[in-house]
Amino acid sequence: MSGHEDVIRVDGLVKSYGAFLALDGVDLQVTRGEVHAFLGPNGAGKSTTIRVLLGLLRADAGEVSLLGGDPWRDVEALHQRLAYVPGDVSLWPGLTGGQAIDLLGRLRGGLDEQRRARLVERFELDPTKRGRQYSKGNKQKVAIVAALASDVELLLLDEPTSGLDPLMEAVFQEEILYEKSRGRSVLLSSHILSEAEALADRVSIIRDGKVVETGTLQQLRHNARSTILATLADPPTDVATWSFAHDARLEGSTFTASIEDRDLNEALAALSAHGITALTVNPPSLEDLFLRHYDLDADKPGSPT
Amino acid sequence: MTRVRMTGGRALLPVALHQDARNIAPWVALISVLSASSVLGYRLVFTDPAEAVALGRTVAANPALALIFGPARDLMTAEGFNTWRAGMLGAFFAGLMAILIVVRNSRADEDSGQAELLASSVMSRPTRLGVAVAMAVIAATLLGLLSWVLTMIFGGDPTDTLFLSLTFAASALMFAGLAAVTAQVGSDARSASTLAIGILGSLFVLRGYIDAVDSPEWATWVTPFGWLEHVAPATENNPWPLLLALTTFVALMAYAFWLQARRDFGQGLIAPKRGPARGGWESTLPGLVTRLNAGSLITWLLAFVVLGFVFGFVATAVGEVLQANPAMAQALAGGAVTEADLTAQFLSTVLSLAGIIAAISGVQVAMRIYAEERNDRVDPLLAGSVTRPAYFSANAVLALAGSALALLIAGSVIATLASDQADLGWGQVFGQAAATIPATWVLVALALAAIGARPEVRLVGWLGLVASFALTILGPLFRIWDWILGISPFWHVPNVTAAAPDWSGMAWLALALAVLTAIGFVGFRRRDIV
Repeated sequence: MSGHEDVIRVDGLVKSYGAFLALDGVDLQVTRGEVHAFLGPNGAGKSTTIRVLLGLLRADAGEVSLLGGDPWRDVEALHQRLAYVPGDVSLWPGLTGGQAIDLLGRLRGGLDEQRRARLVERFELDPTKRGRQYSKGNKQKVAIVAALASDVELLLLDEPTSGLDPLMEAVFQEEILYEKSRGRSVLLSSHILSEAEALADRVSIIRDGKVVETGTLQQLRHNARSTILATLADPPTDVATWSFAHDARLEGSTFTASIEDRDLNEALAALSAHGITALTVNPPSLEDLFLRHYDLDADKPGSPT
Repeated sequence: MTRVRMTGGRALLPVALHQDARNIAPWVALISVLSASSVLGYRLVFTDPAEAVALGRTVAANPALALIFGPARDLMTAEGFNTWRAGMLGAFFAGLMAILIVVRNSRADEDSGQAELLASSVMSRPTRLGVAVAMAVIAATLLGLLSWVLTMIFGGDPTDTLFLSLTFAASALMFAGLAAVTAQVGSDARSASTLAIGILGSLFVLRGYIDAVDSPEWATWVTPFGWLEHVAPATENNPWPLLLALTTFVALMAYAFWLQARRDFGQGLIAPKRGPARGGWESTLPGLVTRLNAGSLITWLLAFVVLGFVFGFVATAVGEVLQANPAMAQALAGGAVTEADLTAQFLSTVLSLAGIIAAISGVQVAMRIYAEERNDRVDPLLAGSVTRPAYFSANAVLALAGSALALLIAGSVIATLASDQADLGWGQVFGQAAATIPATWVLVALALAAIGARPEVRLVGWLGLVASFALTILGPLFRIWDWILGISPFWHVPNVTAAAPDWSGMAWLALALAVLTAIGFVGFRRRDIV
């Protein structure tokens, strides 16, 4: 079992458009069989990275290896083994959705007919409409069906669910988990954090053309602080002396703070001395991790300090 | 007519003009240069009246020139020459400019979704169409002014040049009105502009046919181009037909606004039908490329049947046309030239012209490669197991095959109509059409090279067409040196009807074709997909 083989390995990838530096040394590893979430806000470089992986853009510097090959050189061989869903699906105005699915499937080297039929049904897609008649979400469904119905090892999904309604989003998540159970690898670029939280084994966060953090959600959380909320029978007069507590606040009998995982024992010991009547410890959400990297909460007016 | 409110127009117009200025400016400049350059060229080349008389005889001897440029009323003055050389062509291109401006700024925005943002703001329904037409009116005014001033700078007479410039502006107005109507009828921008350009082209060809054969007086009033001919700058300077053009513009605009008030946003008068749920022949790469270009290719092939008939009929009438001209009749009677020679000369001109027009269809296919790329529709194909060379060659083959087929269609129609006319066999006329194909291909390959290697300079593809037209059709009149004329690929086409055709030109064409195609392929492999 080649469990630790990388299907994607990117080291120090640089890409600029004229004077604009889009990618400034991106490092990214996706292991075979995992769903890897690629997170970042608009314009951080997610799509540019994926388009380099597809061989559409030529890397200015850095090492890029995809399924053991060079995405720029081995286009044909590699593309038979992957499927792609673009974030902005643009369909041929005169072709129906069904024709577009068959076209993309045939160009990739074939579709699984049963799977195609099942996906069309599950996503409630009308394949007889023309490209220009589809709404945004339905265009997206055409691209998703075309990608998932093909028999490939790797799925490159660039914000695949933008425009999908919540029901279809749920169907999408089930289908991705099914793909994973069949041993396929997925690179899921997204800014929908709940989606990444539900699907991803590992996460990479990209900011301004650089990957700033990567790891399993657990690892990422480990580096971040949990939120603790305790109701105390005998609240202390001053919490400032508790060095483990960051952003500590005491309102009446309710104490809130954020703490590092390694300080958890110390915190509980200190709190229990004051008679804990209720306690919740929340691990940092992906949103917390994400915001931490983008310093958004620091810039937000009126945020707690 | 109820009052048309233009709320929001004042805010939108400057922004739209600013955005579109780069697209409009080349048209205004090129048409003005067309006029200014003929005044300058005439003063440089035809210094001796005897040479101008000789020019008159050359023009009279070749009805193909009347077909393209209209009748030559007076070639003894620079202004008269300018009216002949730039008048109809300028009017044609001014009309094309206006159509593209109106469709691009009204209908195309609805397809792309930009207009939805505008339509949801405080803006009355007719505003966007009004702004698009206002832009065309501004472009028409600028064109009139620039061509007037520029031609005067190069020595044109102020009054004569003013009338000529006014015909350009008048043409732009009429076809802006036409485009405003077709933008309401077509179901998307593409069909709206195809419809308008189709009408423009048909009217121009009809005008050419009427001018090339010996037609009755009333026939010259059939087309709007005929009206502009009746303005007759430099000879009559008659302003009344301009009023007719203005009336036409106002009437078309009123009709367009009436139609627009009854149309759904983003829809035309024809609702799209449902289609097959499964892919068929178009699910392969060559199938897809053919399918995407099918509409315009079929239109082109039909247009070449019509062109073939027009050229063929004029060829059969060469004798009559020449007899109607006293000087030519004399030359024919004296045995200085034979009708067969003149028919052969006519055929060679129209086949070169057909070759240049056929290249337009090929260049369009090439440009489509980039348009699809800009619309993000190439990424998913190349993300499949389609290689870049495969994608590029599917398009290149269609561009080359389509333009060759168009030329062969026109050639066979012309040959059928005209072959016994000048003691030429069917095979010879058709053979000449076939021999023109490599020259057409060089122009298509130029566009392929630009699109493949450097799409930012894709304008080169269109400039190649313009340059070939100028050198092949106009160059000989100016008696330009051979080495300059040789820049046009059509100069190298062998004369198949000659006793011993000189095939060496074919080698040059083949070389150019190979080099340009190779640049396209190699470039497309290496560059980033946009």
